[in-house]
This record gives sequence, structure tokens and C-alpha cells, in this order.
Amino acid sequence: MASFVTAVDHDRFRRLGLSVSFVWLLCACQTFGASPEGPFSFVHDVEPVLTKAGCNGGVCHAKAGGGQNGFQLSLLGFEPEYDYDSVVKDARGRRIFPAAPEQSLLLMKASGQIPHGGGVRLVPDSDGYRLLHAWITQGAPYGDGSEPDLVSVSVVPDRGMVPRGGEQQLTATATYSDGSTRDVTALALYESNAEAMADVSSSGLVHVKDVPGNVAVMVRYQGKVAVFTAAVPLGATVNNLPEARNFIDEHVFANLQEIGIPPSPVCDDATFVRRVSLDIAGRLPTQEETIEFLERTEADKRDQWIEKLLQSPGYADFFANKWTSLLKNRRDDASDITSNFAFHAWIRDSLLANVPYDQLVRELLAATGTVIGNPPVAWYKRVKDPKEQLEDVAQLFLGVRMQCAQCHHHPFERWSQDDYYSLSAFFSQVGRKPTGVRGEDLIFHQRGIATTKNVKSGESLVPAALGDDVGAIPADEDPRLRLADWMSSPDNPFFAKAVVNRYWKHFFKRGLIEPEDDIRDTNPPTNPELLAALEKHFIESGFDLKELVRVITQSQAYQLSAMPNEHNLVDQQNYSRYYPRRMQAEVLFDAIDDLTGAKTTFANLPPGTRAVALPDNSYNKASAFLQVFGRPDSASVCECERVQSSSLAQSLHLINSAEMKSKLAAGDGRAATMATADMPIDVKVTELYLAAFSRKPTAEELQMAVQYLTEPVLDAEGNPLDESQTAQQNLQDLIWALVNTKEFLFNH
Amino acid sequence: MNHLVSFETRVTIKRCVFALVGCCLTLMLMSSETCGQAVCLPAPRLLTTTPMGGQVGSTVEVTITGDNIEDADLLSFSHPGITATPKLDDSGEPIANEYVVTIAEDCPLGLHEARVMTRLGLSTSRVFTVGELPEVTQLSPNTTLETAMPLQVDTVCNAKMSNQAVDYYTFQAEEGQRIIVDCAAKGGDSKLNAVLIVADAEGNDLVVERRGGAVDFTVPEAGTYVVKVHDLTFKGGPDYFYRLVLQTAAEGEMVPRLPSTSLVSSFSWPPPGLTDETLIPEVEPNNLQAESQQITLPCDISGSFFPAADVDTFEFTAKKGEVWWIEVASERLGLPTDPSIVVQHVSGDGEEEKLTDVVELSDIGSPVKVSSNGYSYDGPPYNAGSTDSLGKLEIAEDGVHRLQLLDLFGGTRNDPRNVYRLIIRKAAPDFALVGWALHMNLRNGDRNALSKPIALRGGATIPLEVVVVRRDGFDGEIELSMDNLPAGVTATGLKIPAGQSKGIMLVTAAEDAPRGFTSATFIGQAMIDGETVTRPCRLASMAWPVPDAWGEIPSPRLLADVPVSVCGTEFSPLTIAPAEDKVWEVTAGEKLTIPLKLIKRCDFSGANIKLSTYGTGFDGASAFEVSLNEEMAEVVYDLEKLKTAPGEYKAAVYGYAVAKYRDNPDAIAVAEVLLARSQDEAKIAADEAAALAEAVTTATDELKAEAEAAAAQAAERQKAAEAAVAAAEKQVQAATARAQPKDIVDIIVSTPITVRVNPAEEQ
Repeated sequence: MASFVTAVDHDRFRRLGLSVSFVWLLCACQTFGASPEGPFSFVHDVEPVLTKAGCNGGVCHAKAGGGQNGFQLSLLGFEPEYDYDSVVKDARGRRIFPAAPEQSLLLMKASGQIPHGGGVRLVPDSDGYRLLHAWITQGAPYGDGSEPDLVSVSVVPDRGMVPRGGEQQLTATATYSDGSTRDVTALALYESNAEAMADVSSSGLVHVKDVPGNVAVMVRYQGKVAVFTAAVPLGATVNNLPEARNFIDEHVFANLQEIGIPPSPVCDDATFVRRVSLDIAGRLPTQEETIEFLERTEADKRDQWIEKLLQSPGYADFFANKWTSLLKNRRDDASDITSNFAFHAWIRDSLLANVPYDQLVRELLAATGTVIGNPPVAWYKRVKDPKEQLEDVAQLFLGVRMQCAQCHHHPFERWSQDDYYSLSAFFSQVGRKPTGVRGEDLIFHQRGIATTKNVKSGESLVPAALGDDVGAIPADEDPRLRLADWMSSPDNPFFAKAVVNRYWKHFFKRGLIEPEDDIRDTNPPTNPELLAALEKHFIESGFDLKELVRVITQSQAYQLSAMPNEHNLVDQQNYSRYYPRRMQAEVLFDAIDDLTGAKTTFANLPPGTRAVALPDNSYNKASAFLQVFGRPDSASVCECERVQSSSLAQSLHLINSAEMKSKLAAGDGRAATMATADMPIDVKVTELYLAAFSRKPTAEELQMAVQYLTEPVLDAEGNPLDESQTAQQNLQDLIWALVNTKEFLFNH
Repeated sequence: MNHLVSFETRVTIKRCVFALVGCCLTLMLMSSETCGQAVCLPAPRLLTTTPMGGQVGSTVEVTITGDNIEDADLLSFSHPGITATPKLDDSGEPIANEYVVTIAEDCPLGLHEARVMTRLGLSTSRVFTVGELPEVTQLSPNTTLETAMPLQVDTVCNAKMSNQAVDYYTFQAEEGQRIIVDCAAKGGDSKLNAVLIVADAEGNDLVVERRGGAVDFTVPEAGTYVVKVHDLTFKGGPDYFYRLVLQTAAEGEMVPRLPSTSLVSSFSWPPPGLTDETLIPEVEPNNLQAESQQITLPCDISGSFFPAADVDTFEFTAKKGEVWWIEVASERLGLPTDPSIVVQHVSGDGEEEKLTDVVELSDIGSPVKVSSNGYSYDGPPYNAGSTDSLGKLEIAEDGVHRLQLLDLFGGTRNDPRNVYRLIIRKAAPDFALVGWALHMNLRNGDRNALSKPIALRGGATIPLEVVVVRRDGFDGEIELSMDNLPAGVTATGLKIPAGQSKGIMLVTAAEDAPRGFTSATFIGQAMIDGETVTRPCRLASMAWPVPDAWGEIPSPRLLADVPVSVCGTEFSPLTIAPAEDKVWEVTAGEKLTIPLKLIKRCDFSGANIKLSTYGTGFDGASAFEVSLNEEMAEVVYDLEKLKTAPGEYKAAVYGYAVAKYRDNPDAIAVAEVLLARSQDEAKIAADEAAALAEAVTTATDELKAEAEAAAAQAAERQKAAEAAVAAAEKQVQAATARAQPKDIVDIIVSTPITVRVNPAEEQ
């Protein structure tokens, strides 16, 4: 399907004052295979051409507030009648000219014959151009009303094995209500969910790259979607799988076997104790804990350690830190302190007590009363607009992004504006009464039948949960409770899936669905069987979050080494090894305090409070460290607000900041204490390695460190420092060096 | 008599700045305002007692702190079963702010109020709890696990929270033992929002209670456990005291919560004469219409908003034209609930059943508009309303009716302690009264919520605002009166007019009223169905003097009694009174001119005071200005404009003025006398030391050692005497500084004015 520019076109472009090269640049244009024949339907023939050519994209003529230059189309053609009027009738019908169709403004602009801000979208020789031309020639009919409706679109093949570097041509077929079908391969839109693994051309040709795993291509045609899923095998022999400990291993290993990626071996005890402590409790194990763990010989000692971590307040602190940020526990005013502390503590205490997840969400969604009496009410203090309430709830607890559907039909999903506003209706009876506390309201159910008006259609909608009927809700019943009931139903397709995927990502760095809060048919999980099994297990456990953590961390899959073997370095999504990641800001902060022995005191909190236990975002302002390492500001329900990427500022901060220096030199810190401690120097080195890496130094490391620690240190005048100063200085240097290793900075 | 200048030491820098801005804004409007002023004349306030209570039948040593209580003598309690004497030092002299408190064997358990009599009168009160368990007091900081204070189970510990800290306690318990850990804080006048944590011996949290509840802990294995206590936002300081209680309980035993002060809203509960004689329990299941509990009217039901999202449905039949009154109490029982009622008429049945709303009852609104959260107060900072329900049910159609009762705050909460009482009765017209020290907006941006004792300076009138919750259609006027007042004190009620909600009580001390205090009676009287009905008026106060309610949320509560005192040492900065103590007569429709005496006892900032009028029949009169430089003024009421009907009325004029107040200038003279005495003693000591030093030089060898010892002792005495002089000098300086004139704005209310409006003679 070439899109060559003819000699005539060249001539025309020259006359229009455009260089050929410029036109080439503009020609990201489309051609279409089929010859146009009539009679035409605007809905089924014209609209798909406009969509494929990108005319009704959000940045083009579907841009909110007037489109471009007064020509407005509905987004992706979801409202054909509106578009028909825009094309045919608006602007006194000047966009089409049946007497001389090629002189129609629509074609002149689209083909770049007269200046067009969007460039050339349809070259005159293309099928799309010819179709529009023919349609205008016929008098630009809308259709006679007898056209069947588009029912679905399908893609062939819908799944398959594609080798690395291979290609797969997709064929898209539209099915109509009269049973007829049409090949719409040329008109459909294609999008890969992992560009690093595969890309797809506008004509539906999939190019697979080098990364093994599963990749999906979304095929969209006039509001209908289909998905092609490709398994990209590595093809290596897999014969040394660890013995499966639970269903997670069965599914992970089955996938690895299917696509031929041999996993790394299970990690050693030292790696495990550090990894799982960081992942469950957001802290390094203490030296004593590490030694005890390493010395134990029971077969189930890893399970026991997981259990101990799960029962510890550290687990509650660490996961409360995760949730409060997503739930926007923001300090915008000094007076927010009470509600923020109460809200954070409510989450933390609930996690400590292992309140079932559905109950936790229920308490939040349907919160009533005062902040002190019922802290989840604080969420309604921060998130006041019912639209924001529904969007946050959908994204956070259901993994569904509804924002698009406020203004138009969701382009990748089945969500309509009715779905949006009927979800909003659950929050329409949230009553507020003023309290004696500035900025705080009492929250209660305002008696009445819940409805919300679809601002576009004007229709009043009763609550419905993403298209599911929840029954008539009487005036006295708080509709939010009905929403909570719907969520916690075992049949709910979103609720459990969203949280198990979110937690999976917490432990494995990559969600089974990515991004973790964008769950839709067109974004399939990389291991659907595993996701389904996790979901089932979680629901059957009674929405038990600790059990979810337990079953994940007990798996061999979680306990695989981070060291790649000769095959699996390229693996990014099959969990054939543990994917190392930099400790998040708060955890790293605490880890450095633990290693250096520095004690940080935070405003309004008692000494000894750890950074993972900070209740809100206000502490970011005072801490360059937390900012540089990406602690989120609690402004979004998206985990992506936490910045986990690396930066030069981070390196400089660790290497040379005043904060690091003062931590290393803390008067009662580890270097100072150790310098005067009466213990052999190799014991000191061993202690430092245990504290930093949860392992003992190798013989080489030990020798190097001992040698360094015993080197004399000179002052500015070149005179040797006394023994105690030397010892302290050298220890500080050694600790500094340990902090600045990847082994320390990463969980691995 | 310039005894009147002081400065509220608790005023913050912020408030001063705020005041400056406010002043600049208001100078053009308010001739009497100046910059840098404080709000309200000093009042004595008892802020802490340590410990905060004691075991019945015991004697405890109590230390007090407060504002303006440095001259306190008598520590008194609202119940005679608790008595106190000053603690004496070794030489038999009273130790300042320390008392020995004796709690009689028969003293009722629960909360009582402690107050001290001071130079400025009887202080505000502080809760003093009498309990059954032995008590201990936290002696040293216990803010780490290592310094945890061991506690015996079945003990009360009186403690204070430090700022940014967690208090640690340990206790020993046996496996299976049920331990209730409770803490009295907010409910005992503390500022602490207590968080209770039971942790293992290493300090790992096991159970946390953060919403003011108790921890119910069943010991998993024998050993040491840790109790942590902290404030919700880790605040602390002397005002953050608490009483921690560890109690054993049997399995299934309902352990009552520690006693707590009463919410202001609770003054309107119970209805007079309520008994449990006809009380019936709610019977579950009654959530669904089809499961309605059958009742007959009238009825009196006790129930519970349990489990979460509980709806209690009751069904009864009634006839068209019947009128019933429905009242629900739950929030007024001190519970965090918001009862809501809907009564519906039921027609048809089965599939055809149709429900028609008859009445919906939600909150008992505040009788007067409560202040918003705006820049300045725009109403009283007390809310006499409640989230409970009270209202009329008029039956419009014969037949079956259903009443649904639910807790608007109970959607997700599972707490069987959230009980209610539902009464449906024939009209029993009645009323309930509550009063508080009047709040006036004293300047722009003023959001003071100070605790104000009825401690009168000579010649002062303290106004109390009184509001009424009317029951079951009672709409008549209510006369207010007080009795059992201290000598020289009179009280005059400006009645609550028919159909209205607010009255004023004026408590006035004669200029020569002697020092003293009483527990007064405060009542309202009304004619209901031809009979005089008398009801008490409860008094409410802030638990703390909050200078800026934006920075700190005030904690209003009901007081146990109505203490009234006269200081006998100071006088009001300004007394405004009618020139003659008589009934002022006027004919309806004519003008009444009343000459006013202004007795000014200190300088004022500003030349004039703007006055308005309280009292039915006259409160519509325009405000007027009088000169603070004149001894006389007059107020003119145009009864034609006011349309005041014939009858006898009581009124008062009020405004605010900025006094140049001198705080306790007498203290300078006292301090100077003490200084002179100490200087004399120092001189004697110096002379003696010199003499003995000289004696050393002349002493024989045998007596030298003895002489040296005597000289050394004399030198020590000299040193001590000189230190005493330095201290006395400091006291003089402090007293002098304190007595410097300071601008303080306060409410000025005249003594009552009695007016008789005679009918106009018919033409």
C-alpha cells in the first residue's frame, strides 16, 4: 500500500508553493485499498475515513471548544449526526461542493491543496480521497436509514506465537447487525501496549522486537475494539524450574516454559531476608535479625520471617504510606494536620489489624460523621467534587479510568457518558454540614433518590456501577453502601483484580497489567491465568491483604535471584528473575539512617518516627532528600506520581550533600560509636556489611575494608590525626562508600 | 482607683499583629478602638490540677496551675464531699498552689468541679474525678520503651503528655486475662486527643484505639505488655493531661467508659419527669418494612444503631387529626450519632403497598444562629442544637404508619454502644434552658472563645446569654431569675419573649459588694396550661481560654453548678447605670429619656462608647454614642418607633470599650515592703558576717576553728540574704511591669433599667 506522490501532484504542490520534500514530511497520510462504490453511508463509509485520517482526533477537529478553525467533529466519530452536520451543513455548506467535488473545502484541505494546519491527511490518489470524492458526487448523503448497525470488530488472528524479530499481518473485520461483514483492515486503528516489544503499522502489520513475553495490539474501529495478543518466545530450553510452592509458581513457571525463558535460581537467604523486609516492612533487617535468620536451619524459616514481618507495625506503616499518598492525604493548610494524621492512622491501624480490603474500602466510600470520630471522612474533605470522587474511586479501586467518559464515549473502552454520570450518581446524596473546625464538614447521607444529570443528554440517571444495575435505591439508603456492596461482590470483574495487580506490581516491579490502574479489555494481562488465580485466591481469602502479601512472597517466583542467567536478561515481564529496583525515597531515607545511626526527627512527630511512617506530604517540603528521591505529593491517585527514575541530583545528594555528611558524622551515629568500640576491626567491617547488605563481607571485601580502616589520615597541615579521629573518619568513609553502592541503593 | 490594668499574658504575637491590622481597619469606624489591645479583662482560671482526681475515701496532695491565680487561697469543689486545705511547709506556712485534698468515703463517684478563690474571684473550673481504684501519678518522663513506667492493673495513672512524645507504660498480665485500657482526656477537660496502643514487650503495636474509645485486650500469652499513649497529632504540654486506667474485666462483661463532661447540647435531655416505667426495647430484626416492629402510641423505646447501616422500623396505626411529638436522644447522651426519622403512611399491601412521607425529622437546630467559621464571630461560639431529633407528627390520613429511624453517621460503623431512646408522646409542652457568658464581637477578626467565670468586680455587670429549646409546641415567654447569690450581688433576667429563643441574665455586683462566692440557682419560669412551670438553666463554659478559635478548636461543655463570686479587690473600669434606681414610666407612643450615670474608674482609649439596648420592647432602638469624658449621658427611646406595648419591661444598654487597665498595682507596694524587709535583713546579715570575719582575725588558736566556722555560716547567710534581695527586686520590677496600663477591650453592660409603659389615654 504505497502512498506515492504522482507527477501531477508534484506539479500541483509546486504551484501551491510547497517543496516536495516538505510534502513528504507532511505525508503521514493514508491510502485505502478498496475502490469506492455507492451508495454511501456517512456512518459506515465516510466517518471511518475521517477517523483513520486522524481528522477527529482530540488534538485536531475534535478538540474541545470548537475544533480547529471553526470545524468541529466529535471525538473519533462517536456522534456521526453531529459530524454530518459539521461537514455538510455548517458554515453554509461550504465544506462540500457536489457540483465540483474536488473543489470541496473538505478535500482541498485534507489533501493539502490549500494550506491545512493538520497537513496532508489524504493524498488525492488514495482510497479515502476517492471515497469522499464519490460520496460528495452522490450529493453527500447521510444514508437512507436502512443501514445495519456496526455490532463488533474482530481481528484475525486474535492471538498467536510470533518469533522475536518476526511480523504478523492482522486482518480486521467489522460485523453488522444484518450479519454482513466488511474487511476494515485499512480503516482500523492499531496500537501496541508495549512499544518496546512490538510496534504496528497503520495497515495492521505487527513487527515484533527482541523482548520475549506477551504483547497486545489493540484494534479499534468506530468505537469497537478487538485485541491481538502475541506470545513472543525466547525459545530456550527450560529444565531447571524450582519446585512450585503455590499456584503463583505454577502459572509463572508454565508461562516461562511456554515461551522458553529459563528462570534464575532461587536467591540465597541473605538476599531473601533483605528483599522481603524491604518489600513488606519498608526497612532493612537489623543486624541481629539477619544473623539470627542466617543461622536458623528450619525448612520454613522464610515463611516464618514473612509472618513476623506481616505481624509487625512496619508492614502497616509501609503500606499505609502507599495508600495515603494515593488517597491524596495532602496538607494544604496547617489546620489539615488533625485530619491528615487521623486519616493516615486509620489506614495504618486498619492494615495492622488486617481489616479486610473490601471493608476498608467500604469504610472509605461510605464514610459519615466527623474526622475525629470517623477518619475516612477526611477523604471527603479533600475530594469534594462528586466527579473527582467517582474518577478516583474508579481508577484506584477498580483500575478503570473514567475521566474520558465525562465528555465523550471512552475511545478504548465501552464506557459512555451515561456510565460516567450513573457512577457519579452514587455520590450525589453526600450531605455536608458545617462543623466548628474550619474547612471540615460533617458527612452524612442526604435523604433522597440519588440521581445525576448527564450534562450532554440532560437525562437524569440513577446509580449504576459501570453498566451494572444495582437495583432501585430507596431514598433512605446511602447509595454509596450499594456501590460498596457491588464492589465487594465475588463476581465483580474489577475490584479484586485491581488490587491484586497493584500488589503484584509492588513486589515484582511490573504489574500483570500495565499501567496497574488501566484495566481494560484492550490492555490484557501478560499472564491472564495468573491474574485470575490471584484474584480468586484473594476473594476466597475474604479480601485478606496480608494473605495476598503472604502468598506472593512465599512463592518461588518472588524468591528468584535478581542475577540474570545467560537467557533471561532480556526478560522484562515474565518474572524469570527478580527485577531490582531502587529503594523508594522514604525507605532509602530510613535505610541510610539505620546504617549511619543518624536519628532524624520530623516536625510534629515523636523522635524515632521513620520516614515510611510520615502521615502526609508536608514533610517533602522540608526534606530535599525526599523530594530528590521522588516521594509523591499526594496530588494524584496514580502510583506514577512517585518518581522512581534516577537523576544526577540523587547521585550528588548521596555523594556530597550536607545532609549525608551530617548523617555520617552524627555524634551518636554508627561511625562515632564504632570508632570507640572495643572490638576487632574485622568484626566492625562485618557488622557494617550486615547492616548495609544483610550479608557478611567476602574475604576480598574484608581485606580491602580492613586495610582502608587502618590507613592513617592526615589533617589539613599534613599531620596524622589521632587514633580515635582516624578511626571515626575512616569508618565514615567506609559507610559512605557502602551507601553509594548499587547493592545498597537497590532492592534486589 | 486604678486597679484595673492588666494584660492577657496568653495573647500570642499573631494575635497582636492581627489586632494591629484589625485596628487599622476599624479606627475609622470605632472611635474607641486602639491598636495593641487585648480582649477581655483578666479572669481567674484554674487550668490544671495534678493529680486530676483521687480515690474515694483518700487524701491526695494536689498542685494547681492557672491564669491569674497566684493569690489563690481556697480550693473548693462542686461537691461538699471533697475538701481542701493548703499544704504547709516545714515552718507551717502555706505552699503556693499546693493543697491537701480529702475525698470523703461517701463522696459520689464521678466528675466534680474544682475551683480556686483568688484576688479576682472564683476561678473557672477544672474537672476533678473521684473513682474507686487506687491512683498513682506519673513522676518522671516515660517517653521511651526503656523508661516505661510500670503500672499495676486496676490502677489509675494521672499523667501529662509531653510535646512530640509517646508515653510508655508496662504491665504484667496472665494469658487469657481481659484488660480494658481506657483514658480520660477530652472528657476530663484535657486538650489531649488520646491515642491508646497496646504493644508487646518490644513495643510492637498490637491493638490501637484512636477514636477516643477504650482498648479491649485479651492477653494472648502471659508476660509483659506495653501501653503507649499519645496525642493524635503528638501535641503535648501541661494542658495535655490524662488519666490512664487499666482494668481487669470478666469475659462478656460490659465495662462502663470513664465518666465524661456533658456536651452543651445535652441540656435539653431528658424531658422533665422522664422515667423508665414504660420503656420497651427495640426488637431486631426490624430493618425492612416487612419486619417492622409493631408499637402502639404513645411509646418509649430504647434501641441501638447496630450493626452498621442499621435501620429500625416501627409500625403503628393512627387516625387523621392526631398530633404526636417525636423525640430521639442519642447525641445528647454523648454519642457520636446523627439520628434521623421518617414517618410514612402505608396504603395498599403486598406489591401494591404505597408509602407516603408524612414527616421527616433530622436535627434539633440551634435556637440562635451559631457562629460560622468566618473572619470574626457572627454568633455565639456555643451550639445549643443537637443532631438528635424533636418534632411534630400530624396524622393526615387514617391507617398504618411506619417510622424509620437510622443513624446518618452509622453507615459503616459497628458499635452497639451507639444507643438511642425514641419517645412518641402526646404534646407535653415544656422548655429547657442553657446560658453562657455573653460573647460580643469585640473587634474585627475577634474569634476569642475564652472561658469566663462569673467573677464580678465591684460595680460590674456580667451578662449571660440564655437560650431555650422549646418542646411540643410551647411558645410562651420565659422569665429568668437567679437566687442564692453572694452578698451585694443582684441578678435581673431580661426574659425570653413568647415565640423567641433568647434572653439575657444580668448579674450585677454593687460597688461595695464584699468578697465571697456562692453556688447560685438559675431558673426560668413560664406559664404552661395555666400553671407556673419552673426549669433550671444550665450553665455552659469553654473548657479553655481559647484566644483564637481558628488556631485551636474550643471545647464548650456544661458545668455542674452555677458559681457566682465577687472579688472584693477590684472594680469595673466603667459602670453605667440609670441616674435613679426607680421604675421609669412612659406613655405608649411617647419618648422616654433616661439619664445615665457613667462611673469611670480608669482611663480609656477613645473618647466615646457606642451603646445599644438589650431587652424586649427596646432592643430595636438605634445605637447611640456617649462621651467617656462625661459623668452623665442620656438615652432616648421613641416608643412610637419602637411600638412598645404597655407593660413592664427590663432593659440594659451595652457596648464595648478599651480600658487602660493596670493589673494589680497593689502588688507593687507589697513587693516594695518585702524588698525593704529583705534589704534590712541583708544588712543585718552583712554586718554579722563582717563582725564574725573580724572575730576570726582576733581569735585565739583554740577558738580559731570555731570562729572560722561561725564566720563561714554567717557568710552563707549573707549570701542567701543578698539573693533574697535580688529576688525581691525582681518581684518589684515584675509587679511594676504588670501594673503598666494596657489596652484591653471588654464588654460593658449597664445595670438593669426598669420601664413601665402606660397605655395612652384614649382621645
